[in-house]
Amino acid sequence: MSIVALEGIAQRCGDFVALDNVSLHVRKGDLHAVVGENGAGKTTLMRILYGALSPSEGRVIVHGQERHYRSSREAIADRIGMVSQHYAIIPELTCLQNLMLGAEPGAVMNLRQCEDRANELAEQMGFTFDWHSRAESLGPAGAQKLEILKLLWRNAEIMILDEPTAMLSPRDADALFVSLRKLASQGATVILVTHRLPEVTEYCQRVTVLRGGKLIDAKEVRDVTRAQLAELIVGHALTAFEARELPQGETALNVQNLVVRGDRGNDAVKSATFQVRKGELVGLAGVDGNGQKELFHALMGTRGFTGLANLNGEDLSGQTTRERLAAGVRIIAEDRLAEALVEDWSLADNAVLGFQRLPSFRVGVGINEATKADRAQQFIAKFNTKCTSTDQAIGSLSGGNQQRFIAARALGENPSLVLAFQPARGLDIDATRAVYQGLRDACSQGAGALIVSFDLDELLEFCDRILVINGGVVSAPHQKERAEIGQLMVGAI
Amino acid sequence: MRPLSPSVRLGILALTCIVIVLIALITSGANPAQVLTTLLTDSFRSPTAFADTLKRFCPYMILGVAVFWALRAGLFNIGVEGQFLMGGMTGTVVALQVGGIGGVLLGAVAGMVVGAAWALPAAWIRAYRGGHEVISTIMLNMIAFQLSNHLVAGPIMDPDAGFPTTRTLGPQDMLGGVPVGPITVNWALILAFGFVVAFGWWLRKTVAGYELSVVGANPTAGSFAGIDVKRTTFAALLASGAIAGFGGGLQAVAFEGRFYMGFSTGYGFDALGVAILAGGNPIGIIPSAFAYSLLQQGSLAVQTLHVPPGIATLILSLLVVLFSAIRYGKVGHANG
Repeated sequence: MSIVALEGIAQRCGDFVALDNVSLHVRKGDLHAVVGENGAGKTTLMRILYGALSPSEGRVIVHGQERHYRSSREAIADRIGMVSQHYAIIPELTCLQNLMLGAEPGAVMNLRQCEDRANELAEQMGFTFDWHSRAESLGPAGAQKLEILKLLWRNAEIMILDEPTAMLSPRDADALFVSLRKLASQGATVILVTHRLPEVTEYCQRVTVLRGGKLIDAKEVRDVTRAQLAELIVGHALTAFEARELPQGETALNVQNLVVRGDRGNDAVKSATFQVRKGELVGLAGVDGNGQKELFHALMGTRGFTGLANLNGEDLSGQTTRERLAAGVRIIAEDRLAEALVEDWSLADNAVLGFQRLPSFRVGVGINEATKADRAQQFIAKFNTKCTSTDQAIGSLSGGNQQRFIAARALGENPSLVLAFQPARGLDIDATRAVYQGLRDACSQGAGALIVSFDLDELLEFCDRILVINGGVVSAPHQKERAEIGQLMVGAI
Repeated sequence: MRPLSPSVRLGILALTCIVIVLIALITSGANPAQVLTTLLTDSFRSPTAFADTLKRFCPYMILGVAVFWALRAGLFNIGVEGQFLMGGMTGTVVALQVGGIGGVLLGAVAGMVVGAAWALPAAWIRAYRGGHEVISTIMLNMIAFQLSNHLVAGPIMDPDAGFPTTRTLGPQDMLGGVPVGPITVNWALILAFGFVVAFGWWLRKTVAGYELSVVGANPTAGSFAGIDVKRTTFAALLASGAIAGFGGGLQAVAFEGRFYMGFSTGYGFDALGVAILAGGNPIGIIPSAFAYSLLQQGSLAVQTLHVPPGIATLILSLLVVLFSAIRYGKVGHANG
């Protein structure tokens, strides 16, 4: 007997079909995973169940009865709750105020009673909260916990979580699943939208796979392997990205006792010492905000540093960003629109960005129009950026296509060091592999790559070696092994 | 309610602008058709009127470039008026001292140097201290007004004149022109045309122009692309001031022949409109500057119809609003 049944759901917007005849059956007490690539329709389907969208066709059946939610308010009254990818927590309010926001017990509140109930809920989950501290003091894990308590506060029995672990360290993610299982054992039902397959195979009972707005399959998790799931998601066989012998090239980047000042005057990177060899893809694992950004900016020259940083024997400290670009330092920046692109400009004009002073891009004082057109085509072709022409404004492309273009640009013009900040951000599985293959190819030509990702599994799969950054301290695990790295990421060793 | 399509909204805006102009004309008690005809055609009434229009056309083009240059770097140089005045005053004094063609050249160059110097504090404060250029250039404008008024009423005043002005340059000490039919096209005007075209090429085709535009469009991306954003900002405001000062010097040695209280009729402020009306393309400065000179010339003539000259300002302002809406609409469309 399903507690939630979505049957024959279609969602159309003009000519665009977001969902086409999709069904979803969720058993009470299950952790039910909904998996698929970006744009497969997972979030749209969840928003329909949550009453935020009404479907063009199909039936929504909850607790055995057909529903026609006109708003999320009605879904919440039906004991459905949803935590979206971006936390809805107001940093200026206290934790208790956030907990109750929009679901206050009445116009006049007995705050002591509210706090008692809050403590009760937290205790039930094994969380502890200082209810009167402001929510801005919460880290990503704390915010996620608060979001779950917000659902419990609203008496939700069906909980929809959209990519809940995207910002969590492996340890916090594991703890989250322990809590979710506990909730499920007490009768709650959890629907989990994710693209991290280990979470599905380790913690969930059933899985529904979507691709391109269509239902591909729904299975018991015990009947399917991780590799089979990946194939269902992309729609074709995937060959494993082969691990290879550790490249033994000479040192490309040599960093000794590097200290980088953060925005708040603290040391964002604390005395980091590490090397990146030629040919090597080095992953930098860590939870967001632990100094990754500052390290990259220091190596790129947009932020000062003390200590030593050498690239192929040349001291970087005396070099401007322009000189580093000429020496082959490239960055796939964290924030596409703010740091890597001019939104309103064409792909061709954006292809020049960063290369404008290189001899190959110049004729006298002018820009070499032939090179510009040629490179724009080349960058588009490298990772299949979908666009109408090189004259199209890059801001009109989807985020994934912008990312493909930026990644291709960073691998162009003979890089010697590629600083890749979440190079696969917003990319599907095929494109992710293509980008990492591109990084490998660039490295086999003599470059080294330092790669930041918040997805440890991605780094484990694609990188030759892994470093961990936590609180600005860079450390090297003994082995490329998940448990040890996970512990280093939260400073547990 | 569904949002209106962009073209419908523009149509409504255009209609509103026309209605506003009509209301203004009717309340002033004039015949709208007559006023508009006078506004648009007065420049072509006589060779003298056309020559006067050209005398405005030249500084509008040069100052339009000055504003456009800064605007491309994301800077709003309100100080063009003050830089123009200081350039004009210095240019006159130098040309009076030196004389001949050398005086013409040195006068224009001196204007350029002083214009740059007048922009220097604003440029430095903006680039290296983060103070907003709009505030600092407005203050520098005030200093320029008061200083030039003081000097022209005192130390550099022609003692024989009954009102604050310098001595006048003789024809041999001024820039000549090419006779075209009944009028003479001053070399300065030809220079201004060439200057706009050269600027357009520089901005669109050179590495320096590209970097300037990146800084204006997205300075953070610029810094990751190896551009020294502070230096580019500094240089852009300095260049803008230099051009404005050059425009002032040129106006003195080519058209005015002297510096006096009221040397500028607000060219620098109008130039802000010229640059915005030009749209995204620097070559657009030419028609935009011509529209400004035409309407400003016409606004003198409409006074004989008992219509305040402000009507031209009103029309130009509404044109700027309309053009900004078209440009802004395009940008919004590309993102949507």
